[in-house]
Order: sequence, then structure tokens, then C-alpha cells
Amino acid sequence: MAKILHVSDKHVTIYIKIRGKMQHGGKRMDKHLNSIVINNSDTIVKDWLVEVSKNRHNDYTSAISEDLFESTNREFVNVIFSSLEKQGITSELDDFSEKLINLGWPLSYLTDGLQAFRRVTINFILSQSEKVDSDHLSKVLDMVDNWVDPIINQLVNEYSGSWEHIVSLQRVALQELSAPLIPVMENITIMPLIGTIDTERAKLIMENLLEGVIKHNADVVLIDITGVPVVDTMVAHHIIQAAEAVRLIGSTCILVGIRPEIAQTIVNLGIDLGKFPTKSSLRKGFQAALEMTNRKIVHEKGSDEGIESLLDSLNGE
Amino acid sequence: MDFQSCVKINREWDIVGARQIGREHAKKIGFGTVDQARIATAISELARNIYLYADTGKICFEIINEIDRKGLWILAVDNGPGIADISQVMEDGFSTSGGLGAGLPGVKRLMDQFDIISETGKGTEIRTVKWVRK
Amino acid sequence: MRIPILKLHNYLLISIQTDLDDKTAIQFQEDLLSKIHKSGATGVVIDLTSVDIIDSFIAKVLGDVVTMSDLMGAKVVLTGIQPAVAMTLIDLGIHLKDVQTALDLEQGLIKLRQELEE
Ligand SMILES: Nc1ncnc2c1ncn2[C@@H]1O[C@H](COP(=O)(O)OP(=O)(O)OP(=O)(O)O)[C@@H](O)[C@H]1O
Ligand SMILES: [Mg+2]
Repeated sequence: MAKILHVSDKHVTIYIKIRGKMQHGGKRMDKHLNSIVINNSDTIVKDWLVEVSKNRHNDYTSAISEDLFESTNREFVNVIFSSLEKQGITSELDDFSEKLINLGWPLSYLTDGLQAFRRVTINFILSQSEKVDSDHLSKVLDMVDNWVDPIINQLVNEYSGSWEHIVSLQRVALQELSAPLIPVMENITIMPLIGTIDTERAKLIMENLLEGVIKHNADVVLIDITGVPVVDTMVAHHIIQAAEAVRLIGSTCILVGIRPEIAQTIVNLGIDLGKFPTKSSLRKGFQAALEMTNRKIVHEKGSDEGIESLLDSLNGE
Repeated sequence: MDFQSCVKINREWDIVGARQIGREHAKKIGFGTVDQARIATAISELARNIYLYADTGKICFEIINEIDRKGLWILAVDNGPGIADISQVMEDGFSTSGGLGAGLPGVKRLMDQFDIISETGKGTEIRTVKWVRK
Repeated sequence: MRIPILKLHNYLLISIQTDLDDKTAIQFQEDLLSKIHKSGATGVVIDLTSVDIIDSFIAKVLGDVVTMSDLMGAKVVLTGIQPAVAMTLIDLGIHLKDVQTALDLEQGLIKLRQELEE
């Protein structure tokens, strides 16, 4: 990670070359350089703000309001300085990164900002120095790195930690979402399938489907594939298997939401949907399900509510 | 490999015994009810094949505990006539006994890993594994 | 072991409560056919709610018993097949295509009555 961030930076390229020699003295901060930076924080901050605003126009932060962007920049730079003063990672840094994570700011805002900070600070110190030999240069680079790198590491860790957390949460959510069963009416249940179906998910769907049929005592289940983007032979195979298993446990499946392109693929691929009833829309499928359970829609004068509106809301049309 | 436990298949009733033991193992390892049924059914198929075609043999179980996954390993061994054409018996519907011919191809689908080693006149060994779903 | 077969009007009701071994299954096939013959029953419900394993052999026996009963003029409905069992059958490639099913015994009887009245 750190290497990639360094690539475009001229000074750092030098630094990488000379790092081998420097390592023994690496951890210590140079008091003198330290105080140059702290005493000139106003200038450095000003230069830095100019730098970060340059990037602002065509990137992720362009959607953020001017005020928020500025106040965040101020806070950011304060956090950086306080970590210099206290010589280490501070709780301000934790709080700040947590806040940005929650607000959904990208990690690159922080890493770009810190790289800009690195450049600005190095340039500033060098401009203040009387003579720039390689010894002095490496001292400066080392000091700035020792300052900036831990902050970057800390931020990257925080961010990736939160990503992992989010990914694991999403996995659980997805599994729950994977195959919800909606008992719309006595003996009629709907299972809307959304998203891509792979073998693992197909198994889960089948299990949920069958358990749900038993639980809701469903005579008819409507499997709605409107939300399945691609129906290939594999997906069709899984759906057929689910429908057959439903038949074995004593219920009936109606496959609904067959879009034109899905009908085409099914026929072109030579998939035999056999004797499973299919319907183009959930609405038609639901009507068929009502008939199969010996019910029908009765129109009453003055009441367009009821089943009709239920059907409409089912279709979302 | 030393298997934890083996069940001899000598009589028809041993088929039921083998699958019951297999189900208990599966339950203990943490398989869900559906996978328990898959495993018990696979064992039933393998044990019946031994009983029908090789007369006697055994079914052995081994619990696999790896760092990142758990599973049940099932081994079916007999010293029967062996299988001459393995690809043929793996076809759905092939049977020499008037059965459905669903057994072996079915076991392959029920389980996650499946291997047959067989030599005519010497016997048959089928190794199959099911992994616990995460 | 023998599986009990109950008679209710024109129907025969069977609830299989044990882990079916091969001999019991074959015995059941014979018992059911002779009972259909003796009683002249026109419908049969076989409830499998308590059965937690159906392998290819038992599936064949059940499929055969349905076809045989049909030949003898009795419609058969299988009821209460457990989800885990259904999924296993699908994996085995057994679909029991010509067999009628229902969720439970009661539904099975309703289905029979509808079919026989048609
Ligand atoms: N252990 C074995 N030794 C020798 N031959 C075997 C063995 N197991 C299977 N076979 C052969 O492989 C064929 C296919 O076996 P498979 O279990 O798939 O079907 P089946 O036993 O004939 O019918 P089903 O299992 O559906 O009742 C058998 O008919 C038999 O000829
Ligand atoms: Mg077999």
C-alpha cells in the first residue's frame, strides 16, 4: 500500500533509495526540524489548503459543499499537527477517521491529503534550509515520513476494518434477503427472487422455499423472477429443481415475471419448463393462484380497494 | 488412514444401521437437517450397493477437521466383483438390477467430493466427502 | 415389521412411522395391493410426514406402488414429504413425475375426493 502511494512523488523516490542507510536512526524525530514545522504551521497549512483545493474540481469531493469541505480540511490538518505535537497516534485521529468513515468520505481524500501534506512540508523545510546536502535531505524526508506514515497506516487500518465489518454485515443481510417468503393470503405465498443465482444461493433458496411452504401451509407458491437479471441454463435448472421439490412436498409452483428476453432464452436454450405453470406477471400469476385455490376476484360497486389494489401494489406498476 | 468408525454390511438391516450412524456423525459435526438427509441417503445408496452387488463390505466414517472447514468423509469398501466400466455406472438410469440406476450418480450429486476406485474381480472402494456449509 | 393400513369409507390411509428398510417396504407393497384388492378401495393416501429418508430403492418401491395401485383402480396421493427428503430426491434425480402429492393427510383426502368426483 505505502509503496503505491509513493510512486508519483519525486522526493520520496529519493527517500526509498537511501532508506537502507537511514533505518537505524529512523524512529527518532529531529527536534529542530520538528520545531520548524510547528512554528510555521500557518504557512504550511495555507500551502496545504491550496494543494488540496486543486484536486477538488473533478473528483469525489466536488459534490461536497464548500463549507463542509473547508471545515473538514481544517479539522484534518489540526489532527495531523496534534499528532506531530504529541508525537504519535492520537484519539483525535481515531475520532476524525471514524467520523469520515461514517460520513462516507473516501479513503483517498485522507491519503491524497496526507501525500499533499508530505510534499508541502518537505518543500517548506527545504526552502528554509541554508544548504541542502543529501544528509540533510534524508533527515528531512525521514522526519516527515515518521510523522505521516503512521497516520496513513492508522487510517488505512481503520478504513479497511470498517470495510470488512460492512462486508460481513452485508453478507448476513444478503443471506436473509436471499429468499424472503411472503404469505400474501391464506395458502398463497410469494417468493420474489432478486439478483444473481449461483449454486450456493440456489440451495439456500430451495431450503427457504420448502420450509416456507410447510410453515405457511401454502397450496400455491409464486416464484417471481422479475428481479433475476440473467436466466441461463444453470439458473433455469435450479428453478425447475425448486419447482419439482415444491411439487414433491405437495404444493404447486407458478413461475412468474417471465420477461420477453427470458422467454426467448428459455426457448433458445431448449430448456423444458415442463408442466410448470408460468405467467408473465405477478398479477396474472396471483389470479391463477386464486383460481387454483378456488377463489376469485369479486368486483364490488364503489370499492375498488381490496384485492385489486393489493394486486396493483404487488406489481408495483 | 485410520477411520474412526466402521459399520460392516452383511445383512440388509445393516443398511439402516449404517445410515443412522452416518446421520449421527453428520449431526454432531454441525450439518443442517437437509445435509443430514443428503448424507444419510448417500450412505444408504452405497451400503445397498454393497449388499446387492458385493454381498459384504463396510462403510467407514471420518470427521475432517481442517483450519477453515469441517466435513465428513465416508468410505465404502467391498471385495466384490468390482465395476468394469465406471463411466457407465455413473450414468443416470444405468442399472444391472432393475433399479432406478439413481444410486451412484445420485451420491455424486448429494456429496461434495466423490471418487471410485474399482478393479474387476477385486472389489470397489468409493470415497466421498461432504463439507459443512458456512 | 408391518405397516398398518386403515380403511375409511372408500379410502385406505397409511401413515408410515418408521425408518423404512427394504423388507418392510416390499412387505408394505404387497399388503397394500392385497388390501386394495379385498376392499375395492378407490383412493389411497400414504402419509410420509415421519419419514426422514427416502433413498432410490424406497423411491422405486413407492413409485411402483403408485403405478400398481393405479392399475388396480385406486388413485394414490403421497403426503407430508419433508423438505429435506424432497431435496434429496431431487439430487438423486428422482422426480416421481406421475405421483400426486399433497401437503398433509387432510389435503390428500381432499385431493382424492376432487379427483374421483371429476
Ligand atoms: N459395490 C459395487 N460392486 C459392484 N458393482 C456395483 C457396485 N455398486 C454399483 N455397482 C453397479 O453399478 C450399477 C449402478 O449402481 P446404482 O447404485 O447407480 O444403481 P442401482 O443400484 O442399479 O439402482 P438404484 O441405486 O437406483 O436402486 C449397479 O446396477 C451395479 O451394476
Ligand atoms: Mg444402487
